[in-house]
Amino acid sequence: MIYGDRNTGILVQGATGKQGEFHIGLMNAYARQVGGKGVVAGVTPGKGGKEVHGVPVYKVHGVPVYNTVKEAMVHHDIGSAVIFVPAGAAADAIMEEANAGIDTIVCITEHIPVQDTMKALAYARMEGASVIGPNCPGLLSPGEVKMGIMPAGLFSRGNVGVISRSGTLTYEVVDELTRAGIGQSTVIGIGGDPVIGQTFADVLERFEKDPETKAVVLVGEVGGNLEEEGAKSTNMPIVSYIAGVSAPPDKRMGHAGAIVEGGEGDAKSKIARLKKHGVPVASRVSEIPEMVRELFRGKC
Amino acid sequence: MKLREHEAKNVLKAAGIPVPAGFLIRSPDELTPHLGELGDAFVLKAQVDVGGRGKAGGILMADKASGTKVAAELFAKEIKGLPVKEILAEQKLAIQHEYYLSITVDRSSKQPLILFTEAGGVEIEITAKEHPELIKKVVANPLMKELPPFMIRELIGTAPKEIGPVINQLFRIFIEKDALLAEINPLVTTPDGVFAADAKIIVDDNALGRQGITVNRDLSDREREAEKYGFSYVELDGAIGVIGNGAGLTMATLDLIEFYGGKAANFLDVGGGAEADRVEKAVRLVSSVPAVKVIVVNLLGGITKCDEVAKGIIGAGISQKVIVRLAGTNEAEGRRLLSEKGYEMLDTMDLVVKKAVEVTA
Repeated sequence: MIYGDRNTGILVQGATGKQGEFHIGLMNAYARQVGGKGVVAGVTPGKGGKEVHGVPVYKVHGVPVYNTVKEAMVHHDIGSAVIFVPAGAAADAIMEEANAGIDTIVCITEHIPVQDTMKALAYARMEGASVIGPNCPGLLSPGEVKMGIMPAGLFSRGNVGVISRSGTLTYEVVDELTRAGIGQSTVIGIGGDPVIGQTFADVLERFEKDPETKAVVLVGEVGGNLEEEGAKSTNMPIVSYIAGVSAPPDKRMGHAGAIVEGGEGDAKSKIARLKKHGVPVASRVSEIPEMVRELFRGKC
Repeated sequence: MKLREHEAKNVLKAAGIPVPAGFLIRSPDELTPHLGELGDAFVLKAQVDVGGRGKAGGILMADKASGTKVAAELFAKEIKGLPVKEILAEQKLAIQHEYYLSITVDRSSKQPLILFTEAGGVEIEITAKEHPELIKKVVANPLMKELPPFMIRELIGTAPKEIGPVINQLFRIFIEKDALLAEINPLVTTPDGVFAADAKIIVDDNALGRQGITVNRDLSDREREAEKYGFSYVELDGAIGVIGNGAGLTMATLDLIEFYGGKAANFLDVGGGAEADRVEKAVRLVSSVPAVKVIVVNLLGGITKCDEVAKGIIGAGISQKVIVRLAGTNEAEGRRLLSEKGYEMLDTMDLVVKKAVEVTA
């Protein structure tokens, strides 16, 4: 496993909001299914410790809610955090969790100003925390742990890792893999923003050390060159897909980070560079399973 | 959102970076009271939201005698299809040397990246390709309020020392103004000191609110309407309308259209957990583009309710053909509703896109 397993206790920041509450329910349903710890604590400033209906502690789906991350850490064994707070408060949440000593921080929140993200990530680096996202769906290791919002029904356990800058496109890839009988070790969405914590290279490094993962599907898109940097950094067998071949220059394609700027980061040159590194690149999502099989036949 | 030159220069000026004396005019007559203040010869620069304005004829030289006439000429022009509504009339500088200075968001280091070169006045992309050794680069920790002196020394090398404070001020602007790009090109030396001869600032769209910007000028009317509903929307020029959920999946749908030889009319990401009224608005918005002949709806997700999506599509009741691929919660009910009304549904994104391309061929 990478970033955590069934024994990882999860904290949810923004536990009492609509999104937080909804996904605590889904994450813990998954934890029950696989016999994992799931979400053990929630944090919402001002809501913690209040009496509600005679119950001494505010709870969401039975999960106690605290005012601060440090308070939650006193009462629970917490290895990772998932953030659902609004954009204006998300950078602060990342820093609070890093400061409290949480190792893995998953930030689901979209629309955080880049300056805030850069500061929060610089601070998290100093505290030694790994940040996944922002603007990401989190991760899911089938049969082990779900940290985030991925729809668990599409997944199946196996030996292929998936790293993606997207949400629903990741589910599409997972759906194709599962239907083709190819299971996944860990599927991780690293985020659609221009500045993100864990990059393709960081996740690939973890996959290299993970005995469960034999090959990786790298799902990239227009903007930047993190895909190429990742492919260069690893010896893992990789199949790639890059979205945005038809994206016009200087237009943001939904994700803040999906933009071809100053003639850089376009899909065609990205694909050419990946191929130069010996990485096979699918032209359609539906081609991915067959290319993964090909990879297993050849290299694994 | 990109600030116009005069707006960017006002930001620099407020931070203490010298800019040429100048005035913003909205008609040729508004130039008259300023004619005495700009010197004998001056520059008229169209304030239009496009790049490559100089080559497109948007910058003209003028003098006291010809000023009003030249301004009228520029106001009558269209620069890359855009009308000229504002002109920046600016003092002409006695330029000795041109430098390039910019600060951008570096995705690899996740920090601000400062670029400086003494080979200014040319397009930076060209210098980067032909003489990358001439471009000095420094990555700065975003938690710092100002740059330590060694970074300034590394950047400016043998260039004049007055450039140091300009770099530090631009760094402060970059952080405080939520910039994705802050660029001075060229930064020039003159007998009267250093000046920012041109300036470009791009403000993070996710920070417009706290920067006091209420309208994002970079968006078209339809794109702005889409933003109001919480959609991500980009106008393109084909005949196949596209609605998807999630930016990546929607992009992949556009790519598939291209793969099968078709052309997409738009990119529209409805976002997560789309409900009937949002889907209805999305379908109406895409169908309002005259060029759209067929609409592809490609929705996949655990939490997207297919019956809601179906109700939205039916509720929009548009005249163009809609081809649907739906997967998610309440899928059977969604399919039943759509098939009752005679909508075409296919199982995979490959199939829906192929069909749409056939329809428009």
